[in-house]
Amino acid sequence: MSKIVVENLKYKYPATDFLALDGISFSAKAGEFIGIIGKNGSGKSTLCQAIAGLVPNFYKGSYGGKVMVDDIEVKNVDISDLCEKVGTVFQNPFNQVTGSKLTVYEEISFGLENLGIPKEEMIQRIDEAMELLDITKYKDRNPFDLSGGQMQRMAIASIIAMQPEVIVLDEPTSQLDPQGREEVYQAVQKLSKKGITIFMVEHNMEKIASYSDRVLIIDDGKQIAYDTPQKIFSRDDLDEYGIEAPAFTKICRELGKKNPVTGCYPVTLEEANDLLKKDKGEM
Amino acid sequence: MKSISLYEEKGSILNKLAPESKILYIILALVLPAIVGSKMVSVVFIAISIGLLLFSKVLKKTIPILGVSGFVLLTVVIIQGLFRAGNVTPLLTLGPVIFYKEGLLFAFNIVVNVLNILLSFCVLILATKPSDMIENFVRKGFSPRFGYVFISVFQIIPQMTETMATITDAQRSRGMETEGNLLVRIKAFLPLISPVVMSSLINTKERALALEVRGFNAKNKKTFLNDEKKSSADKYIQITMILLLIAGIVWRVVGCLK
Repeated sequence: MSKIVVENLKYKYPATDFLALDGISFSAKAGEFIGIIGKNGSGKSTLCQAIAGLVPNFYKGSYGGKVMVDDIEVKNVDISDLCEKVGTVFQNPFNQVTGSKLTVYEEISFGLENLGIPKEEMIQRIDEAMELLDITKYKDRNPFDLSGGQMQRMAIASIIAMQPEVIVLDEPTSQLDPQGREEVYQAVQKLSKKGITIFMVEHNMEKIASYSDRVLIIDDGKQIAYDTPQKIFSRDDLDEYGIEAPAFTKICRELGKKNPVTGCYPVTLEEANDLLKKDKGEM
Repeated sequence: MKSISLYEEKGSILNKLAPESKILYIILALVLPAIVGSKMVSVVFIAISIGLLLFSKVLKKTIPILGVSGFVLLTVVIIQGLFRAGNVTPLLTLGPVIFYKEGLLFAFNIVVNVLNILLSFCVLILATKPSDMIENFVRKGFSPRFGYVFISVFQIIPQMTETMATITDAQRSRGMETEGNLLVRIKAFLPLISPVVMSSLINTKERALALEVRGFNAKNKKTFLNDEKKSSADKYIQITMILLLIAGIVWRVVGCLK
């Protein structure tokens, strides 16, 4: 059964005269890892906020179509109720620090306190989340004293501790170094394996290609494609949407090496390697 | 990060007490002298406050606070001692300058009151973590939203100061003069303050979103990670203070009836 169903979603921010989202329709199953790509200003963040109910309940504006999480229509529930089901991590780690807590440990507890989680469970969840994102060693530091990457991992931990069934991450790794980025992806993949549905906006195509189950391309608020990374990155019109395929895909495209089974170019190092090795063996 | 809170954790008895006890102490220290109508009570409270602060190892931190008000108080003493209307009894003669008894007594009353207010507030402020105090209020039914506003101020303001410093540096690196005489500084003010205000507004929107998705507006009852700040002594201290207050009122009423 689909966890999230988006049907013909249209949305216009107040005081603007263009549709930020225009006819988006897709569905995702529990535990799926969905990558969302597109150029700047294409509506990726708006879509993320639509899944979390911030659009339209926080911004108002004109809204059409619907977003269903399980059998709840997000438009009709309060954001504070929906946040138990859908967690959101934003781009700027700095503005996700609440500012009312003096340590990282307390900061992560903020959402749990609001949800009314009993203390014992709170401690257990916080420890788990910190462990998962490898920030236990910063537990007594002031949240504002962390580096951008550490702060972002804290922000992710704060959401994970709330144990939502869907997590939406809006360019969460833009502030991180390559190693930090990999750690975040590993952590998110673990969650996805546990059955949590992940939506990830990202500009790093190699990461999207290797982690996503399916990829959604948005351009000018319109849905261009929703398919497996292999099919998406084998498209010939990626340039039009400001998307650059992973390096491995580009190399294989130049070499004309398609996977004979799927008819697509490989998108990850492993796939490319396998394909090229096989070719070599045949020669 | 620099905090604007004056609180410092010293592990003292005052640190361990519930914030309510300290607030009650302020009320008692300010109201009881008025009820009893004797300046001696204020002096006793000043002594108690100093004792408490000394015991909590934070007396040193009161010096800058007292320094500022001390200057004002000194002028009060001089002006009132020299020129108060009704000055008739000379008390101290320094060359041509004569201090009068009436004026000095009046000034003494003011000094005692101010010191009493300052020191009793110091007992609360220097020994209480702001978030503990607000959290205890929220537990007692104070709105968590307002609580958030009060607590976050302590971190958001230093944050804005830091943003201001960054913007100052950025503008300076583009050749803007930010130091010099008054006119230069006034001219530099607008290009500095407008980015600060704009960025604060944007940050506030983003922070509001981030709070929203962490259940800030959830209607269910809040729970707390930290245990309520209180010690076993709190109950007795609070009862004693309330009894003292009642005793003061009774004493005054009985005194009036006689």
